[in-house]
Amino acid sequence: MNSVIFLTIVLLALSSYFFGRKKAILIQSNKRLTALPKFYGYYLAIWCGAPAFLLYALWSIFEPSIVRFFILSDYSSQGLLEGELNLFYEKVKSLSRNQYSGELTAELQRSAEKYLNFRDIAKWSKVVIVLSLLIASTGYAYTKISNNTKTREPVEIFLKGVFFLSSLAAILTTIGIIFSLLFQTIEFFQVIPLFDFVFGMHWYPAKAFVRDASEALDPSMYSDTFGAVPIFAGTFFIALIAMCVAIPIGLLSGIYMAEYASKRLRQYAKPVIEILAGIPTVVYGFFAALTVGPFLKDLGLSLGLEVSAESALAAGGVMGIMIIPFISSLSDDVITSVPQNLRDGSYAMGATKSETIKRVIIPAALPGIVGSILLGVSRAIGETMIVVMASGLAANLTLNPLESTSTITAQIVVILIGDQQFGDPKTQAAFALGLSLFIVTLVLNIVALSVVKKYREKYE
Amino acid sequence: MNKIEAKNVDVYYGAKQALFDINMDIEANKVTALIGPSGCGKSTFLRCLNRMNDVIDICKVSGVVKINDYDINQKDTDVVRLREKVGMIFQKPNPFPKTIYENISYGPEIHGVAQSKSEMDNIVEESLRKAALWEEVKDRIHEPGTGLSGGQQQRLCIARTISIKPEIILMDEPCSALDPIATAQIEELIDELRKEHTIIIVTHSMSQAARVSQNTGFFHLGKLIEVGSTDKIFKNPTQQQTQDYITGRFG
Repeated sequence: MNSVIFLTIVLLALSSYFFGRKKAILIQSNKRLTALPKFYGYYLAIWCGAPAFLLYALWSIFEPSIVRFFILSDYSSQGLLEGELNLFYEKVKSLSRNQYSGELTAELQRSAEKYLNFRDIAKWSKVVIVLSLLIASTGYAYTKISNNTKTREPVEIFLKGVFFLSSLAAILTTIGIIFSLLFQTIEFFQVIPLFDFVFGMHWYPAKAFVRDASEALDPSMYSDTFGAVPIFAGTFFIALIAMCVAIPIGLLSGIYMAEYASKRLRQYAKPVIEILAGIPTVVYGFFAALTVGPFLKDLGLSLGLEVSAESALAAGGVMGIMIIPFISSLSDDVITSVPQNLRDGSYAMGATKSETIKRVIIPAALPGIVGSILLGVSRAIGETMIVVMASGLAANLTLNPLESTSTITAQIVVILIGDQQFGDPKTQAAFALGLSLFIVTLVLNIVALSVVKKYREKYE
Repeated sequence: MNKIEAKNVDVYYGAKQALFDINMDIEANKVTALIGPSGCGKSTFLRCLNRMNDVIDICKVSGVVKINDYDINQKDTDVVRLREKVGMIFQKPNPFPKTIYENISYGPEIHGVAQSKSEMDNIVEESLRKAALWEEVKDRIHEPGTGLSGGQQQRLCIARTISIKPEIILMDEPCSALDPIATAQIEELIDELRKEHTIIIVTHSMSQAARVSQNTGFFHLGKLIEVGSTDKIFKNPTQQQTQDYITGRFG
């Protein structure tokens, strides 16, 4: 029913565009219009669609709670608790859908009938009221159209409003996510001391499983459970390994693409490198877990080294490969945008190509290169699938790249996979980790973007 | 004595011929101006003299360009050595994104000229003095060269070029991005520099050519129409086209 109403509004708005325009064209035959006929069309379409749609949306939002209020008002005198009322209302709803299998009582049956009745009334009155508003507003606007109606301005204002609402939605979602992170994190820190989280050396969230409800909020039960040092260390360690792979290869290939490669080669090679960026990270993940990890283990065996099948080296190395295209492609772009006259100036001094690259082009492009590296680092820190699949889930505090270690992102996955409960410190730990991750990558991105921006100002 | 002798020089950009059979002799320790309307090939010819056209992929040069009686268009010419001897100043000042000091020390360093720090300091100071920039920047030679004004940047580029004591300096419209005062300073400098260097300057401004040069070559549509002493070209040209250009009838 809802989609039928929605479609009707859209179709009527579309057709009123043509009526509005047609009327304008008729007027145009003997009088000068203040705007192009299409603006009259838009004007009528907006008057037709917007009020009806707004009412329809508001109605749909408030209808369920109003119906609920009427059903439950019969029982308000019985002094029931909020939870009991909720349960009762759920029973009424499932009975009305014929999905109720519990004990049937007379009042339940009566309420279910009343519920169906109300829903019916609500549905039809919605159709009638929305459509009559639509007809009224369209009729009002249609009669208002004359040769000197202001149509262009209202249309522009309406469009401005639409754009504004879209950007508002994006911003509000971001703020909403940040606040949900923040509130859960604050609750988490009310149970787990901040100090224990930031400086604790042991991370065993599984320990938090065995508690029963009465102990759940007792901080002493969580000592040595949520110490984040091992996973912070693991995160930065794996990111470091990744950058050790990505920076040299990415930078050198970027320089090659920008300075040495012929136009033809560049034309084919650059998209190939950029394809690396399009490979889903889960594919890199099983590449790391099934190919690189076992390979390193075998290699280690033949060298007499103990290599864990899930090692930081495998995850970090593959993550590095994933980041190569970012660094390569961004540094290629900044190097290409170094003005040609700097190169000419250096060549004219008798400098060779490599001297020019090393001593003039790289210094000139350095801020942009640093920016691209920082963006790469923030990707490495935020990367999830590869570490989940290839670096293990046990949070070992180690600096040995051949052992397994874990990262912030991997631990969030571990915590939130399977059954979990809100209000539980274990679940909230994921929010605390998420917030830490968010802060780190936010700072990195801000620094990277401002560095890149500074560079752009210098040459444009 | 002729410092440079160009014989039968043709230049192609892809399929398009930019220079047609240029023959030109350039005297040592004089300023030679190359004039002509836009796109006439004068900058292209200038870039033949230090093989800067090598940098452009599609550019093909043929013919003989002799500097000190040595043909630089030979296959085994050491371009690095050539450009050490033939410096170049560009249209737009292009200081490197480094300090003033590092801008000057760049050339001596890549050619291994200075043996010690103090020797390098001397080269930097001497080059800046010769470029008439020392007094203005001596207190901030460790600040970025890109922070100087346009005219100062161009003199910095001149200082950078003369730091490795080239025999020849090529100037490609060195004043076109500068204001009149900065232009006057550069012109004065050019006159000073010709004592030690042979200078070839491409310019759009005929009055500049008349002011700074002893010899002038007039290019039109990729051909060298006329070459001779600046006096003769401006007062008594033999070619009608030169006459027309000088008097502003086209260009």
